[in-house]
Amino acid sequence: MKVILVGFGVIGKGVVKVIDKKKNHLKSKYGLDLKIVAICDRSGAAIDENGLDLKTALKVKEETGKISNYPEKGKNMSIVDVIKTVDADAIVEATPTNIETGEPAKTHMIEAFKNGKHVITANKGPLALYFNELTSYAEKYNKIFRYEASVGGAMPIINLAKETLAGNEITEIKGILNGTTNYILTKMEKEKLDFDTVLKEAQELGIAETNPHQDISGLDTAAKIVILANSIMNKNVSIKDVKLEGITRITPEALTMANKSGYTIKLIGEVSENKLEVGPKLIPIDDPMNVKGSLNVAMLNTDLAKEVVVVGRGAGDIETSSAILSDIISVYLRTKNE
Amino acid sequence: MKNNKKQKYNNFNKTLYYYGENMITLDLELKDIPGELIRALTPISNMGVNIFSVIHLREKKTDGRVPVRVVISDAGNRLNEVINKLEEMDIIITKVNETTRKTDIDIVVVGHVVDTDVRDTIDRLNKYGLVVDLDLSMPDPFKESSARMKVIIETDKLDDLCKELDKISEEKNLLFIKSF
Ligand SMILES: NC(=O)c1ccc[n+]([C@@H]2O[C@H](COP(=O)([O-])OP(=O)(O)OC[C@H]3O[C@@H](n4cnc5c(N)ncnc54)[C@H](OP(=O)(O)O)[C@@H]3O)[C@@H](O)[C@H]2O)c1
Repeated sequence: MKVILVGFGVIGKGVVKVIDKKKNHLKSKYGLDLKIVAICDRSGAAIDENGLDLKTALKVKEETGKISNYPEKGKNMSIVDVIKTVDADAIVEATPTNIETGEPAKTHMIEAFKNGKHVITANKGPLALYFNELTSYAEKYNKIFRYEASVGGAMPIINLAKETLAGNEITEIKGILNGTTNYILTKMEKEKLDFDTVLKEAQELGIAETNPHQDISGLDTAAKIVILANSIMNKNVSIKDVKLEGITRITPEALTMANKSGYTIKLIGEVSENKLEVGPKLIPIDDPMNVKGSLNVAMLNTDLAKEVVVVGRGAGDIETSSAILSDIISVYLRTKNE
Repeated sequence: MKNNKKQKYNNFNKTLYYYGENMITLDLELKDIPGELIRALTPISNMGVNIFSVIHLREKKTDGRVPVRVVISDAGNRLNEVINKLEEMDIIITKVNETTRKTDIDIVVVGHVVDTDVRDTIDRLNKYGLVVDLDLSMPDPFKESSARMKVIIETDKLDDLCKELDKISEEKNLLFIKSF
């Protein structure tokens, strides 16, 4: 199977590291001979239809910051041209999330479908904004579209709901879908520190981004709950439909008040028949959703299995890449006899 | 107990039968003060309704109140009378059989809780439920304060309460963090 990797940042590099590490395992367990035939970043691309050397690619990126410096095979080609012209079965889209336009990832995905390539992505933007449009492209061109890593990183949820829990009607999904806000609230509660202090510290530790707006305003969680609503509960909603409240007004006193009543405060994304909201909620101290630190958690309410709860790591290069790898493997297993 | 026929219990469709007679379970939440249980049971037996058992629901979260399950004989068309009588006495009935009538919700409020007329806030919530256990903390008169409260409310009024909370939140710039 041949794959084009679009975006060679934290996640792109993580995918390459994971594939490099699992090469033999993939071959012996699934008979999957996985080749990365192109890698793209903002500088251009490295292309080899027989498969790039992954260690070289990582080294070039590490040392020069540009994949186009890959010896002999580096080119200043646009990403769309790579998607159109390089022969491959699938693309892995890992450019930055844009929750206003979904670009450039949306164009990358549509071009991939149009050019006969399956799409695997970790990118929330286009999914939260144009879910139906993208899935109809996938259907029209008869290609597979997988996006497990876009919600909850390594925590299994989309494929769990659609495949493992097949046959169940899922009536409600709620959870902590953003690790940064969970880290901040956990720390504020434990150390009785105010929001700004903990945010600053999280930024210094690299847990929160320099621009944490999307995390603390709840927008990131909103994008994820919209993806779950559309993909698992067959809704047709967009970020604008989410009733949104962030965590910036939470104080240590509020957390103490919550504790006195037997609760903690978490930023919860929630979708059910007539609810689509993101906001701070009281969660009982002994509830399975009270997970600490930067963990993610989700609870699915289903008609047959009743409540199902999953916990996992919502971010991290290797963790998130594990979800991308599992999507690659399932595309391979579904198409190997074609 | 009413007569001396052989006791026969049956569990059928979650309804209990006793001598072929319907039994009704009432879940109450009593104030944790002496005499409160007797105060609740007396009017029931004064109406001639049999009380079969009284069970303390200790496993449930209490927060200052005592949850008790009372099993009574089917008061027939007098069930409503029993319920009304107890509610007149400010006794909280959370469930009748398996049907949840009332539920406890907890709310933490952040903002200028006192300065924005806390009395008015509570009065407006009391139109839909009953605010109990209000607790305020004011770290500094210029900073936002926080409060916690419990609201006992009929389940079918929850949506209306949410709408009222949204309205108050907008008018008074208060953040309501809810347990549901
Ligand atoms: N980080 C996580 O833990 C995590 C978890 C779950 C999902 N995700 C999602 O995974 C995706 C990638 O995240 P990341 O952390 O790897 O981001 P990142 O480190 O910023 O990497 C982004 C990559 O995309 C390239 N890129 C940036 N702007 C571009 C543009 N306009 N056109 C084409 N390429 C562009 C960058 O090129 P240069 O290298 O040349 O700068 C870089 O290679 C995002 O959508 C993110 O939401 C991340």
